[in-house]
Amino acid sequence: MQIQLREVIPDYIEKEKRIASQIWAQNISIKKGEHLHIVAPSGSGKTSLIHFIYGLRKDYSGSILYDDTNIKNVSIERFSEFRQNKISIIFQDLRLFEERTVKENIEIKRILDPYHQPGKITEMAERLGIKNKLSQLAKTCSYGEQQRIAIIRALMQPFDFLLLDEPYSHLDETNRKKSMELIYEECAKRSAAMIFADLKPLDFFKDEKIIYL
Amino acid sequence: MPLTYKNIEPLIVSGKNNFSKWLGYFGLGIGVLLLFVSMQMFVNIGQLLRENNPRKSGGYDFISISKTITNENMGKDNSFTDADLMKLKEQPTISEVAPLISNKFRVRGTAGDIIPFSTDLFLESIDNNFIDTVPPTFTWQPGQTVVPIIFSSDFLEMYNVFAPAQGLPQLSAKTISSVNIILECSGPYGAQNFKGNIVALSDRINSLLVPKSFMNWSNLHFMEDTAVHASRVYIKTKDANDPKLISYLDQENYHLNKDKVKFSRIKSILQNIVSALGVFGILVIVLALMLFSFYLQLMIAKSKDNLRLLLTLGYSPKWLAKSVAKTWLPVYLTIIIAALILTEIFHLLFMQLSFVKSANLSYFPDWSVWITAVFLFALTIFINLNLVRKELIKII
Repeated sequence: MQIQLREVIPDYIEKEKRIASQIWAQNISIKKGEHLHIVAPSGSGKTSLIHFIYGLRKDYSGSILYDDTNIKNVSIERFSEFRQNKISIIFQDLRLFEERTVKENIEIKRILDPYHQPGKITEMAERLGIKNKLSQLAKTCSYGEQQRIAIIRALMQPFDFLLLDEPYSHLDETNRKKSMELIYEECAKRSAAMIFADLKPLDFFKDEKIIYL
Repeated sequence: MPLTYKNIEPLIVSGKNNFSKWLGYFGLGIGVLLLFVSMQMFVNIGQLLRENNPRKSGGYDFISISKTITNENMGKDNSFTDADLMKLKEQPTISEVAPLISNKFRVRGTAGDIIPFSTDLFLESIDNNFIDTVPPTFTWQPGQTVVPIIFSSDFLEMYNVFAPAQGLPQLSAKTISSVNIILECSGPYGAQNFKGNIVALSDRINSLLVPKSFMNWSNLHFMEDTAVHASRVYIKTKDANDPKLISYLDQENYHLNKDKVKFSRIKSILQNIVSALGVFGILVIVLALMLFSFYLQLMIAKSKDNLRLLLTLGYSPKWLAKSVAKTWLPVYLTIIIAALILTEIFHLLFMQLSFVKSANLSYFPDWSVWITAVFLFALTIFINLNLVRKELIKII
């Protein structure tokens, strides 16, 4: 699968920002296995772009294609299929079921199209240092812990593309490294592409393609 | 392990308002029960009164009318003229008209030596298709000495009431056919004895009916009279209770025996009552379904954030709608089955009533009740599924 951005311009963006951008109004394609690092300061539209690609918003001109399909024309039903096994996401605002336990939050994604056995949840939680939190309600976890829950949840399904929207903003250096390693491993297993949006370039991405929004 | 509703159940806030939920169940139950019972009773009453009403046959009522005798017209000729008959036939509410032709000559009946009984008789004849029981032997040709007679079952009942007091034997419906009646017919132009043979009993027509051919022949033979003098006319109508028919008959001063249409009137009143109950049942069902849909909307509104997140994570809206709607199916099914069982119990209790016992009613609810049950179940599934789907699409 490949994702193409064809002259995508958000409806709300100012002309100056658009002209300076390496993404808006450009033609970009990302193939399976590629890693794309989008760097931009706060408020420049990173989250919007991620949401456009994930099909949550349509307030843009131009088109975004999954292979040859313009996602603006994709039904909600068909999109749910993409989200089950083609594209996964780690939201900036995490989006967890606060009243459910950590394990339930991850399991609810895993059972949709299981890529891993249930035991993998504990294994990953242990790697990211939240194993002892598994039976706690998500709302009782710190923001950093919640970020790690969201990461594990996104890795439970099969995918060709993984979208990451500032996934490490509340993680310390050690946990950021552990998380990044896990994500890289999981993407490698699936030969998946990674679209990673953050405020500044990360050391991990030194060999990757960096685009400034 | 396949994905089931159980996996997402904790995320759907069912709300603490159990009272409205149970009120909804109760209302739906009562509504469905009212509808089923009233439908069953409607069918029962229809069948019961059809079986008990000999005047009704093939969807038609047969009623007799005569001219009302008043002080003014007393003593005058109150028989129906040809013009009267024509006018009656023209009425849209009347399908057919048949005059009862009576004898003009004198008839005296004796029952021979076995039953020492002798009386003046009157004979009447009417078109065969107006008689409820016409055996093939009910024919007569000139020269035939045996005259077949159709006897009113009401007369037999009356005879059996006064017979013991007169020292006469009581007769059953079967034995009456073996009684030989001697008909002594006489008039200014001749006299002749015939052997009367009762070939059938009529519940519909209160008279002693002889074949029309005999009546025409004997009126001519003994009286030389061929004119039709009908003091009674039978009419065949779709509905004896039709207000148009009743008002026409009143206007023409025709007398209608109210007893004859009593069954129809009772039936119509009872069926109106159960129909009203059925309509009330439908109303209650509609209200209960509305209550359910409010409850469902509230449930979805309360679980809005969770449902939206599930959709964002990749849960299919179709699957979610189906799963949420499906949770109500056992409740609907239980309510409908319970209402069917209660309807059956009421039906069986109804069959125990003394006036119903003789009727040939089925032990099971009518097919229309079953069809309504299936229809209601399908309707509730359809409404639920659509409602949930619509609400889900709203929150995306």
